[in-house]
Amino acid sequence: MVSEKLKGVILKELELDDWDIQDETTAETVPGWDSLSHVRIVNAVEDAYRVRFRTSEIVRLRNVGQLQELLDKKLS
Amino acid sequence: MRRCVYDVDPEGLVWDAWRRHAEKTPDHEAIVHLTLEGEPVRWRWAELLQAASRAARWLEEGGVKRGDVCALIVRHHPLLYPLYLGISAIGALPSVLAYPNPRLHPDKFRHGLEGMAHRSGLDHILTERGLSAVVSPLVGAEGSTIRDVLYPLEALGGPPPAGSAIVGHPPATSDEPCLLQHSSGTTGLQKPVVLSHRSVLEHVRRYGEAIHLSDDDRIASWLPLYHDMGLIAAFYLPLSCGVPVVQLSPMEWVASPVTLLRAISDERATLCWLPNFAYNLMADRIREEDLQGVSLSSLRLLVNCSEPVRAESHDRFLRRYAPRGLRAEALGACYAMAETTFAVTQTRPGTEARRVSVDRAELSRGTVVPDEGEAARRCVSSGMAIAGCSVRVVDDQGRDLPDGRVGDIVISSVSMFDGYRNYPEKTREVLTDGWYRSGDYGFVLEGECFVIGRRKDVIIIAGNNVFPEDVEDAVGQVPGVLAGRVVAFGADDETLGTEIICVVAETEKSAEAGARALRLAIMQAAMAIDVTVSRVYLVPPRWLIKSSSGKPARATNKARALAELSWR
Repeated sequence: MVSEKLKGVILKELELDDWDIQDETTAETVPGWDSLSHVRIVNAVEDAYRVRFRTSEIVRLRNVGQLQELLDKKLS
Repeated sequence: MRRCVYDVDPEGLVWDAWRRHAEKTPDHEAIVHLTLEGEPVRWRWAELLQAASRAARWLEEGGVKRGDVCALIVRHHPLLYPLYLGISAIGALPSVLAYPNPRLHPDKFRHGLEGMAHRSGLDHILTERGLSAVVSPLVGAEGSTIRDVLYPLEALGGPPPAGSAIVGHPPATSDEPCLLQHSSGTTGLQKPVVLSHRSVLEHVRRYGEAIHLSDDDRIASWLPLYHDMGLIAAFYLPLSCGVPVVQLSPMEWVASPVTLLRAISDERATLCWLPNFAYNLMADRIREEDLQGVSLSSLRLLVNCSEPVRAESHDRFLRRYAPRGLRAEALGACYAMAETTFAVTQTRPGTEARRVSVDRAELSRGTVVPDEGEAARRCVSSGMAIAGCSVRVVDDQGRDLPDGRVGDIVISSVSMFDGYRNYPEKTREVLTDGWYRSGDYGFVLEGECFVIGRRKDVIIIAGNNVFPEDVEDAVGQVPGVLAGRVVAFGADDETLGTEIICVVAETEKSAEAGARALRLAIMQAAMAIDVTVSRVYLVPPRWLIKSSSGKPARATNKARALAELSWR
């Protein structure tokens, strides 16, 4: 399940007050989350959690739930 | 070092140019297809042409005939190249179209494709099975030119049999059409440009000369082939001249920009073309730890093209990558468009693109006045006209302006298109006596061309043109927005090195919660046409200033919005 912290990082980077972000939420359904802002969001998540993603990991992500899972794995 | 461009024969056919490489240098690399996962696919000349020949036979068996237009809607895939070449081998016209972004509503994509098919005369769609449900309804639909949808990736997998025959192109002259590309813009509203073998080969030869292309060169590119910069600079140029090209996926690059720098370093690439925003993205969004072992010392020319060139972007990129071997003199620029096949001007290889600092206020009044002050605008040269091209700067009446005066840029070129396909009225608007009105404005100084913006309100985002009318139409349908009371415009974003899209919309909603929901609804409406709106300004009724035609005036309202409004 997407944590409030991850949701907050994403919304802050997109300058959105609020948006319903669930496991199955994909980038293209969130206002402002396009291919150009994607790398910015990934960087912000990395900074917030002090983790680093590999390029191949980033490209494989299909939704926010998978991003959360990847984060959980890195942090465990 | 041998200048390979002199082998290019503008009297010949592109297929014959490729076939010569397969005969002379069968084991040399032609295309290196890179992906993040898996080993590179290294197409060598003989194998590439054999695979293209197999594709040609498969296409003919499928009913594709000489002169047919084949739309290719395929993502980054190693079979895309032999397929493209195979279409050319039988005398059909390949046309690469963008694979739809998932955010684009399927109906919008289909509608855009339908419009494009009608305008461009698309006969066949070659795509992936995943698009079947979206594109199949277009076959046989009333008024549709599309005769069938083919799925080549399933049929053409696996390497071609070693030593298999390379087909011959049916007899043709170099003045016959060889490809169809589209001017940048919204799908369905893009203008189709047909180019002949002669135009392409003549251009490749002259542009290759301008950049001193040689056998020692190697090109790296993530550019999509539906864009003229990707198609001509990073596909036809290397393939026609026998220079290897390393192709990356645009989607993988934008998700992980370091992939291009790694490719340049690993493959020892010497040449690369990029739109301006890419310089900022790679300067700001790549972590030092991801750059371990990366060297850019092989790069002799990095060409900034497709957006107005920004001095700050070059500075930022150089500051970041000089320690990794990037040389200032590698930072070049060019001015190009699909209508002239590609390049019109190019900076001199081995010399950093020239800059001039000018007074902003004087520039907006049309005169170039040197100014070294803090507030000066630093304009970057796109170089001098390449051989076979001429550039003039003219006033509103079409009269030539002297050096240092800002006006409309008009162009003549030996590689000029003959007109937009099936679009004579649009052709008449832009082409007069062999001179093409680019719609860009800028100035010339000592023979060098400086492009400073678009004459019309077109917004250029990351090298792509977005028409404000499209955004206004989409936003105007959002409940809560007053009908016809919307203005969309582009605003410079120095950090991104490109423009962002802003919308001013009149509404009667004043409560904060309602306004917040409306902002999101406006952004979503733009998303459905694959446009990202970065700023939404909500204003009360009658805020927007109307022009004499009764429509809100974009330039006036843009100036007012940026001066008076907060976007949140």
